Amino acid sequence: MLAEFRAPRRRNRVHEEYEAPLPVTQSPEERSDFRAELINQHVLVRNPDHIQRIYNQGYFGKGILSRARPDHSISDQWEQHKGLCLPVVSQSRYEERLKWAGAALSAQGLDDEAVSQILTKLSQPVEAEDVRREGPQPEGGVCPHTKRLRSEVEPKAKRFCRLESQDLNLSSDQDPDSDPDPGSNSGSDSDPDPEPVVPGPGFVLVDCDGDVRSTDSESRSGSGLQVRELRHNPVSVSEYLQLSVEEAFFLVYSLGCLSVHLHQEPLSIIQLWRTFQSQCPHFISSYAAYHHFRSKGWVPKGGGGAKYGVDFMLYRKGPPFYHASYSVVVERVDDAFRDTALRPFSWRSLAALNRITANVSKELMLCYIIYPSDLSEVELESPDCLSRLKVQEVMVSRWVSSRERAEQDDI
Amino acid sequence: MAERNSTDSAESRYSEILSPSELFAARSRCHKIPVRGQKDFFPNDSGEQRQRLEQSLSEHWSLTSEERVERLGNLVKATWIPSDQVVELQSPAGKFWQTMGFSAHGKQYLLPEEALYLMECGNLQVFYKDLPLSIQDGYERFLSSNTVSLLQYQVFGHLKRLGYVVHRFDPSSQPSTYARQLNLPQSRDKVGRQPKRKRSVSPTPMPTSSRTEKQDSTTEMMEVDKDEKDGKPPESHLMTSPETLEVQCSATSTADEDGGRTWWSGDVLECKESNHSTTSTSSSRWDFSSIPFPDLGSRESLSDSLTSPDPSLLPGGLAVGVCEVATWRQKINLRKVAMSSKEQGREDDRRRRRGDVNKDREVQQCRNWTEYQELMARRQSRCDGRPAHLWNREVTPLHDPRQPLPTRELLEKINVIKSTNLLEGVSRLKESDEWGIRFSVYQPDSVAEFKKSHPGKPYSHMCVCSFDGPVPDLRAIKLLASQTGDVPVVFAVVDYGDVSFYTFKDFQLPVDVYP
Repeated sequence: MLAEFRAPRRRNRVHEEYEAPLPVTQSPEERSDFRAELINQHVLVRNPDHIQRIYNQGYFGKGILSRARPDHSISDQWEQHKGLCLPVVSQSRYEERLKWAGAALSAQGLDDEAVSQILTKLSQPVEAEDVRREGPQPEGGVCPHTKRLRSEVEPKAKRFCRLESQDLNLSSDQDPDSDPDPGSNSGSDSDPDPEPVVPGPGFVLVDCDGDVRSTDSESRSGSGLQVRELRHNPVSVSEYLQLSVEEAFFLVYSLGCLSVHLHQEPLSIIQLWRTFQSQCPHFISSYAAYHHFRSKGWVPKGGGGAKYGVDFMLYRKGPPFYHASYSVVVERVDDAFRDTALRPFSWRSLAALNRITANVSKELMLCYIIYPSDLSEVELESPDCLSRLKVQEVMVSRWVSSRERAEQDDI
Repeated sequence: MAERNSTDSAESRYSEILSPSELFAARSRCHKIPVRGQKDFFPNDSGEQRQRLEQSLSEHWSLTSEERVERLGNLVKATWIPSDQVVELQSPAGKFWQTMGFSAHGKQYLLPEEALYLMECGNLQVFYKDLPLSIQDGYERFLSSNTVSLLQYQVFGHLKRLGYVVHRFDPSSQPSTYARQLNLPQSRDKVGRQPKRKRSVSPTPMPTSSRTEKQDSTTEMMEVDKDEKDGKPPESHLMTSPETLEVQCSATSTADEDGGRTWWSGDVLECKESNHSTTSTSSSRWDFSSIPFPDLGSRESLSDSLTSPDPSLLPGGLAVGVCEVATWRQKINLRKVAMSSKEQGREDDRRRRRGDVNKDREVQQCRNWTEYQELMARRQSRCDGRPAHLWNREVTPLHDPRQPLPTRELLEKINVIKSTNLLEGVSRLKESDEWGIRFSVYQPDSVAEFKKSHPGKPYSHMCVCSFDGPVPDLRAIKLLASQTGDVPVVFAVVDYGDVSFYTFKDFQLPVDVYP
């Protein structure tokens, strides 16, 4: 008897627009060639344009500095200042960033005098005309009202930062990673006159009177105005998009639109498959489940383990639009349908998981990946073995005997 | 109820029959259920709290110590027959007969679990060897591995108390898999269909082996033809006609190979050879480096006549003389385009940049037009930016983003992992004792019209297991699904008297394409 399909529940307020189901285009002119790097067993996409497309069209990945969508910004408050729209940071935070820049420079071996010289030069106020002359940069060209701006903030001590002196925004304000795409985004997005120009991420407005929302009557903010100074951004932090191994392999293998590079060398599909297999012991099963759900048009998001205790959450269209409909646990079985127990269930754990799932109004689904008996080790070394696997979906639900009596529902 | 003073001694033994005052007291008992208010979470040593606690405790005690009062006339007497493991009714059955019990040999019987349940309800008194059995006796005698285990009885009792009709599962009442197969709609019945016709083997270059292989493939095709004809005559007719044509053509070609005309068939063989094996050395009889092909269209001045070709290259006994090409060249427009000096300069630039295609070493390595086209395709893809590390290896991506597809087709294209359903592959599984359907459960509202002889389709099939036991794996779920037909299977999990019910249902996630 088949379980009945319940329609997914829409979210009450939807802030986003739906772009496309997958990051491959319907028109042949646009190119879908994304680049990712495999760093310390993590797949990261660094190019901001790629990040936007990969996330917006299919909701792949997660920003490393954000909850889901990579929308880290240097400040939550943006203001207009002489026709420019800039993020506002407090004086204390600005000085903190100057200190970071100094530490970075010292780490590069410059002596203290040189460091302090550079820092003083860096902290000079900047004229608005200079900023405007730079022109709107590609990353800053997005309309500020949608709050999707990301500033360029470089991680100072994180393992993926590349500290070169030009990154400190002394000379250029462009992200060295991205290929400058002149005029494609910025020209269309920023209107010359009515819209304020959003310059590149190398500039901030520093609130010189202390805290941004200071209501201290002693400060000069008594009149309600606060003095803002336009300065260079001393340290820039880039936010990257982190893809899980299943998402990355799906983009590479099924859609052919991503290339994963390891130490600047692009990896072939087989190399990627084997790398991921060695990283995650159950990669094949979880990838098979991921691939199955994607080929049905649903959006599986991993990482639900800590929140819901399951492998995937299935969304229709994407997380911003609908609540997740299913929580999926992936199980592996052999030809005789016996468990090889990726996650051995007891009634206690199954009851607990079912309870959690019911409390968040989702349905628990067990996804069994059936391996045929004659699948050899050699075949498992290549993704061609996927066509030999089969998927069985089973819904787990609890039947309440007493309530059924009252409501006369079907089981 | 009249009091019987004479049976005082009997009363003292049983002390079950109530005096009128006791009966009146029982009838007018308060039926209120104690109300539970908000909990107090911390003990504070207040008198009020203590008083509340004592009051609720005493209410609970009085409730649980209540004795149920029933009519003596409703008490049915029965005897336990251990040899048959059934209980035979001695007095007429009451209302419970509508849903419980069975008749045999003109007498009314009850199954042990039903008897025990009725005993607990106070409707039945079972005698064994003329002594009434207590509830404990009932549990000990009636529940065994031959009848119903304790766990199963707990589930039985739980459901009966909620009002469901519970019968022991009867596997013979279910249609067998074969019978179910016959009733299946056409689309799911894939057992009888033949696999799609396999492509016949194409002929190899070797003449002798090709003939035998051709014969094999024709016999293969004949067999498949026969099967197809058994199934769907019109379709097979259409399909066989091109096949037979193919057979005839290849038959004639084999005949030709055996006959004369060696030079033409030799070419055919060699072409096939070169197509099959790209790495084979060119063992063709023609040495194209020594056979000049004149470029009549080149602007460079040629002699006005072509020398006669080598007679060995010509078929038969042909002899060809010198060819005058002047007339032909007149027919070609060899006039130079008049360009201004700037245009000329640009043209020269372009030509210099493009380079002479003939000077390209890779082009020189191409032996024929096909290879040249392959070379151009390779170059094109490199310029196109198709990543070589993805596309030029053993495993290529499933989809090329340069060939856009609408979403639905794209999803179908990448759908390489097949879904399956619970009933697939069940036939090769062996039955297991561990998991089996024990009870058929019918909905409580149907009690009024319930007929024991024709109960109809059950509401669910119950499978009983212990909370400390294992969870059913896919194998068990499939086995049970095959036994149950289209009635849902519910697992009753017993945890020391507490019963929870879980279902594992087959599901097919629908394809979702937006918009």
